[in-house]
Amino acid sequence: MKRKFALLLALVMCIGLLAACGGDSGSSAPASTGGDNPAPSDNPVELTVVTSYGQEDGNRGIYEESYKAWEAATGNTVHDSSSMSNEEWKAQVLSDFEAGSEPDVLFYFAFADGDPLVNGGKVVPIDEIRAEFPDYASNMDDARIPASTADGKKYVVPTTGIWEGLFCNNVVLAEAGVTAPTVDTTWDEFLEMCQKVKDAGYTPIAVSLASVPHYWFEFLIMNKGGFADHLQMPTESEAARTAWIEGLEGFRQLYELGYLPDNTLTNTDDEAVLMMAEDKAAFLIDGSWKVGWFKSNANSDNYSVTYVPGNSVRSADEIIGGASMGYMITRKAWDDPDKRAAAVSFIEHMTSDDVVSRMSANNLGTNALKNSPAITDFPDKISETAYQMATGAAKQSGAVQDLAAVDARNELFTNDIPQIAAGQMTAEEAVDKFIAAYNG
Amino acid sequence: MKNHNSMIFKKKGPLLLFLVPAFAFLAVYLFYPFVLNIWNSFQDIGGLGQAPAGMNDPWYKNYTDMATDPVMHTAILNTLLIMLCTILFQVGIALVLALMVDGIRVGNQFFRTVYFFPIIISATALGLMFNMVFLYDGGMVNELLHSMGLISKNIDWKDQSHWFFTMTAPVMWQYVGFYFVIIVTGLNNISPDIYEAAEIDGASAMQRIFRIKLPLLHNTLMTCLVLAITGALKVFDLPWTMFPNGIPLNASWLTGTYMYKQTLGGAQNVDYGSAISILIVVLGVVISQVANAIFKEKDY
Repeated sequence: MKRKFALLLALVMCIGLLAACGGDSGSSAPASTGGDNPAPSDNPVELTVVTSYGQEDGNRGIYEESYKAWEAATGNTVHDSSSMSNEEWKAQVLSDFEAGSEPDVLFYFAFADGDPLVNGGKVVPIDEIRAEFPDYASNMDDARIPASTADGKKYVVPTTGIWEGLFCNNVVLAEAGVTAPTVDTTWDEFLEMCQKVKDAGYTPIAVSLASVPHYWFEFLIMNKGGFADHLQMPTESEAARTAWIEGLEGFRQLYELGYLPDNTLTNTDDEAVLMMAEDKAAFLIDGSWKVGWFKSNANSDNYSVTYVPGNSVRSADEIIGGASMGYMITRKAWDDPDKRAAAVSFIEHMTSDDVVSRMSANNLGTNALKNSPAITDFPDKISETAYQMATGAAKQSGAVQDLAAVDARNELFTNDIPQIAAGQMTAEEAVDKFIAAYNG
Repeated sequence: MKNHNSMIFKKKGPLLLFLVPAFAFLAVYLFYPFVLNIWNSFQDIGGLGQAPAGMNDPWYKNYTDMATDPVMHTAILNTLLIMLCTILFQVGIALVLALMVDGIRVGNQFFRTVYFFPIIISATALGLMFNMVFLYDGGMVNELLHSMGLISKNIDWKDQSHWFFTMTAPVMWQYVGFYFVIIVTGLNNISPDIYEAAEIDGASAMQRIFRIKLPLLHNTLMTCLVLAITGALKVFDLPWTMFPNGIPLNASWLTGTYMYKQTLGGAQNVDYGSAISILIVVLGVVISQVANAIFKEKDY
C-alpha cells in the first residue's frame, strides 16, 4: 500500500514538474496595442529581454503593456528579466554576457557602463542593422542617438531621455515659510531655505548617502567646475580634479549643517524618497523617472520640479539630461537567423512614436523622436513644472559618472562619499583614490 | 530474507552505481571549482566571467593585499565576533530551550516546530522583515519605544552604535531552532534507564542536567560547535540584505559579504574575491580543527 502511495505521489510530482516547465504564463494581451502594429511572425520565437524597467520604474506599466501587445500581434514570446538600474544590476548584466548567458535584446547604457559590451563585440551597431533593415530606428533623430564612448558608433535606440532636477515638497516649504527655488535662486539662497526648513522641524534634503548620492554628486561637481567642463574626468586636468574635490566637500558641508536625514549614512533610497511623500522633507534631487513614482505614491499636486540652484560658475538652467540608455540587439541574437528579425521587430515596436511619446508624456522625459508631439495638457502640478523645467533648460549635459568604469565609481559612491560626509576621509583622498582606480 | 541482504553487501557493483554519480557531481560542481578558485586567486581577473589578464605580480599579491587591507581586517574581526556570538547565543540558547522542552511531557512536538520554524524562511526574506522591524522611521522597535515613552527621537538601529546588535540578533534568532533540534535529538538518545537510576538515587533536576544530560550531550554539542563555526563563516544573505556595502561606514563587513562585493557587488575584482573565499575555507578548517582538538569527542 505504501509503495503504491509512493508511486502515485512520484507520478503526481512528475506531472506537476512537467506542467510547470512547459507552462505558458497565459496572461492575456492588453487592450492597447501600443505603437505600430507588427506583423504576425511565421515562425514564432522566444526573446529574452533585459531592461531597467523594473517594478519601481514610472514607465514600467507602459513597457509591460507594449511588449505584451507585441507578443499578441506577432505570436512571439518575451521573457522579461527587467530590474531597476543600480550598480548590482549593471554588474549582473555584464556578468551574464561574460558567462555567455546574455539576453537577445538589452536596454542598457551607451556610455562607460556599456563599453565592455562594445569592446567585446557583444552588441550590434545600428548601421549594421540598417544594412539589412533600412527602416530600423528611422523615426529617431540620429543626432540625438547617443554614441558609444568605446568606439564612437551608435548601438542603442533610446526611448526617453532623462533629466535630473530638484523635486520640491510645497507643503513642507509652505510650513517653513519658504517658496520653491526658481531659475534665479542662488546656491547661498538655497542654503538659507534649507536652514528655514530645518528650523521649522523638517528635514531639508531627502537623500541616502549610503546608497544613492549620485544625483547630488553631479550637481555639486558642476557647481564647482561649470557646465562646459563637466564631462572632464579628474584625470584629465588639475581644474577638473579641483572641481571634484570642492564638489565632494559639499557633502560634508550639507551633512555638518544638519540638512540631510539623521540616518543618511544608513538609509536606503526608498526611505529617503518616502520622506518626501510623507511630508517630512523638502527637497530631493532625482530624475524624470521619479515623476511617475510621485503620481502613484503621493498627492502630485503638492510637488513641483525646478532647477538645482547654481552659482557664478553654473547657471541653474544648465542641467544633467539627455539619452544615455537604449535598446540594443546582442550579437548572439543577431547571429541567430530565427531571432534576428524578431529582435528588430521588437525594438522597432518598443521605440515606435506611440510608445516613446506615451513614455515621454508619463515621465516628462525628453526623447529623440523626429516628430515628438508637444505636451500641452498636464494632469497635475508636478507634471507641468517638470515639463517646464526640462524644456526650459538652457543646456543639458550627460552625467560624468557615466564615463567612469563600474569599479572606480562603485567605490566612490558606496564607500567614499559617506566617509567624506562623516569626516572619516578627505575629499582629496577620495578623488585620488578614484583616479588610481580609473587609471586601472 | 537474510540471504538476500547478504547478497547485496557481497555485490559491490550496485553500490558503485549509486556512489559514482554523486561523486562525479561533487567533482564537477565542488572540487573542480574549488581548485580553479585557488588558481584564480593568483590571476588578474576583472568582472565575473572575464578572461584573466595574466598572473598577478607577484602571484601571491592578493594574499599580501589581504594582510594590509583594513576592510578585510574589519571583516575577519566581525566574522570572529559573529562566530563567538553563534557559539554563545545560538548554541547556548538552543541548549537551554532543549533542556526545558525535554523536561516537559506535553507540547514537546509543538515547541520543536515553533523553534525550528525560522529556519525554513529564506534569510533574504528575514532580512527584509527585520529591516522593517528596525526601520528608522515607523519601524516596529522605534514605534514600540515611542509608545512606551522610552525615546523621544528615533534610534538609527543601523548606525555605528547599534549595527552589531541589529545585525547579530536576527542571525542568532534564525538558527537557534536548528541547534535546538539537534540537541533535543541528542537528549532523546540518552537511555531512560539512566534517568530511572538517577531518580532512585534521589538526584535533583539540576543534578540530572549537570551530571547526566550535559556530559552525555558532549558529542552532540561538539557537532553543534563545528556547525556553528563553519556556519558563522558562511553567514552572508541576511547581513547583506540588512547591511549592504558594509554600512555604516565600512563597519559591518563580514568575510562573506566582502567576498561578494569583490566578485559580484560592483568591485569587479574576482581574483581578490577568490582569495577571500580561500581564506574563508582555511579559517573554517583551522578553527573547527582547533575546536575538535580542544573538545575531543568521547566514546561512551
